[in-house]
Amino acid sequence: MPSDTLLPFRWPSEWTDPALLELIAGSPINCVLLEAPDADGAVAVAARKAGVAVLHWKSLSATPLAEVKWDTPAPQRVITGLVWPRIKMSAAGRSNDVQAGPTGAPWIDSNAWVAHLARVRGRGAPLWLSFEPDKDAPKPDTTAYNIAIADSAAAGARWIVTLDPQLRRGLMAGNGDAARTWRTLLGMLGFFEQHRKWSEWEPWGALGILSAFSGEYEFLGQEVLNLAARRNLHYRVLDRLVAPGTLPEALRAILYVDAVAPTPEWKAALDGFARRGGLLIVPRALAAQFPGGIPSPSALPGYSTRALGRGEVAVAARDWDDPYFLAQDAHSLVSRSRDPVRLFNAGSLWEHYSESADTKAAVLQLVGFSNRPYDSVSIATARPWRTASLYVPGGASVGLEPVRVDGRLEYHLPPFSYFAALEFGL
Amino acid sequence: MGSCTTRRSLLAGAARSVLAGSALWREARATEAPAAPVALAGCASYGAELLPTLTRMFDQIGGLGRIVKGKTVAVKVNLTGGPESRMGYLPIGLTTWTHPGVIAATIHLMGRAGARRIRLLESPWKSAEPLQEHMIGAGWDISLFTSAAPVVEFENTNFLGYGKSYVRFPVPRGGHLFPAYDLNHAYADCDALVSIGKLKEHLTAGITLSMKNCFGITPCTIYGDGAPQEEPGLVPLGGRFPIHTGSRQPPKSSLSEINPDSPREGGYRVPRCVADLVAARPIHLAIIDGVESQTTVETVSRNATYVKPHLLVAGTNAVCVDAVGAAVMGFDPMADRGSLPFERCDSTLRLAEELGVGTRDLTRIEVIGGRISDLVFDYRKAGGSRPATQRKG
Repeated sequence: MPSDTLLPFRWPSEWTDPALLELIAGSPINCVLLEAPDADGAVAVAARKAGVAVLHWKSLSATPLAEVKWDTPAPQRVITGLVWPRIKMSAAGRSNDVQAGPTGAPWIDSNAWVAHLARVRGRGAPLWLSFEPDKDAPKPDTTAYNIAIADSAAAGARWIVTLDPQLRRGLMAGNGDAARTWRTLLGMLGFFEQHRKWSEWEPWGALGILSAFSGEYEFLGQEVLNLAARRNLHYRVLDRLVAPGTLPEALRAILYVDAVAPTPEWKAALDGFARRGGLLIVPRALAAQFPGGIPSPSALPGYSTRALGRGEVAVAARDWDDPYFLAQDAHSLVSRSRDPVRLFNAGSLWEHYSESADTKAAVLQLVGFSNRPYDSVSIATARPWRTASLYVPGGASVGLEPVRVDGRLEYHLPPFSYFAALEFGL
Repeated sequence: MGSCTTRRSLLAGAARSVLAGSALWREARATEAPAAPVALAGCASYGAELLPTLTRMFDQIGGLGRIVKGKTVAVKVNLTGGPESRMGYLPIGLTTWTHPGVIAATIHLMGRAGARRIRLLESPWKSAEPLQEHMIGAGWDISLFTSAAPVVEFENTNFLGYGKSYVRFPVPRGGHLFPAYDLNHAYADCDALVSIGKLKEHLTAGITLSMKNCFGITPCTIYGDGAPQEEPGLVPLGGRFPIHTGSRQPPKSSLSEINPDSPREGGYRVPRCVADLVAARPIHLAIIDGVESQTTVETVSRNATYVKPHLLVAGTNAVCVDAVGAAVMGFDPMADRGSLPFERCDSTLRLAEELGVGTRDLTRIEVIGGRISDLVFDYRKAGGSRPATQRKG
């Protein structure tokens, strides 16, 4: 089976009875990951007989992001050490006691940024994310599992399905509640498999975030990715450690995170990008690298801008140390007017926007981290699409008609929970 | 026993004379507070009738030319709360924010009246992002404003912004809450200030019209949560809750409040702060957008009811304008704490009047255009008679 078709499930080690394979019969799960000691046991034999791929966990070279050997070919990249996607609760642990970020918005743990970075570094290899429920957090409910699946899938990765001990025990014992949770979980996995093409479409972004994302710039680079996603700033990852390829067409600005001079190749690419009309956002330390016209005050205090060809260079007046404010600055400099969509009443919804290669179709995937249903969500699109279809797990697709609001087109979404996707077409 | 009775009697006498003195003092202040005509008009929508209605109203109050011609005009708009929030599917300009049509029409008319430079100002909550971005976040097309007059600029005044330092504005007659306020340069670097508020109720202050709109001129880098102890912060890290609660003083570089022993209660503090601000930084033109709005609270909320009062109010004295605004909402502008809409707060109208900003006495205010009795839109009836609940903090 080609690795890009595999949907992995971390088989619980206490499930020694091959009859439990019935749980995945006819489901989208087509690959079980066994711990090494059980690899050739009855489960493995029965799984292979049922046409299910069997892999040994230890053979996967699963490592935390920082330790992935990107130069070594692998059928799939397996990344560990990730977070369980959710709204972060405070240390006090009360269920209604939510941690807030600098803006007071709830803090959300998500692996989307890891997927975006790994997709670029992995150069198309399937991406499997490994995370499991926090041991000291409340037992995940059905919604929590669905959010875990959606957070990975919407970012173009697959979650290695990993069950909490209670669900494992419940399924093994044939418990009805556990079975219902399991069926819903399989339904969610199936939903994303049906729409696999969405993950093959290119993530869209007007902003390129350029960094080594490692070493001295691991924290700032990675956290900018994370916090850009948090404010629904759509970006493309640009890896400073590899030679620049063709820059994505939609890029209008590049944020050069690292206070390290670019390689000659990157210098030429960035220079050319600005001269053709792009905006370069650079740290104070690199001002001399991109000499342009006479500096003038930027619309954003804390930056000066100078013309460079048909474009501009925005130079920070202060050293960057806070990734939240850096993401916010970048969003202001590139402007929200570049956003492909604008959401209203979106609360803790995270956007994933991708376009088909011919740009004649696009999908907006909305991952909601709250247990509450999303009500009265409006979406304004920058492009005038001819068709819009709404997809929610477990439901039939619904065609949406645009509504004209203040001279622009908007779509008014019916209430939904934790995930919805809008596919647009011309 | 006898001496105790004597002392009680003396104290009661003293209290009576203090009260009498206070009432007399207030009365004297109210009598001397200036009055100015207020234009009141019905306006069915933000469509074609908006521009001619505003044109007529500005003419009725003496024309815009005398206020803006050849001048730099700062326009404080009301964009409170997050731009992505809505009541249902309704754009925020229909409920909570000043409607973009009212802003654009005012800019256009000021440009036509000869304004040299028009600067839109607001202090978006907890944010140092450019004001344009805040507006774009709400789905607004800012070219609506930039194309309405020759020179239109934007500034977020929640922090130092484009200025080099904050400017201190002392409050005439000493002030109620603070003796002076340190504000973004934009409120000093202008020849005229226009406040365009929304016809709304307010959880803490009872009503939010053209004066309460100016609560948002206070930079959160000084008056907000997270402001440093010594100097203003670089960017805002929190809201203006310290003004509501008195939980902390501003950084040492700014003046502390007059009486740190005064009530730590929003209903006492916010109206005083607003009155101080409009006394310290006078408003030259006050406009209230009541074409469409919401009841009960000032921000997007499930407790609010979407309403269409179809009203516009404008004048050169903010207290007079807000008195008429309160009256057309079905409230008595002479009311004070304990009476609606000030059930749990002091009256900003009265406090501003005491500072000599203007009169709230409708018998002294010439209302031009529509009549209050014809145009009144009862907010409490429309909102299900729900009184605003006191916000804690």
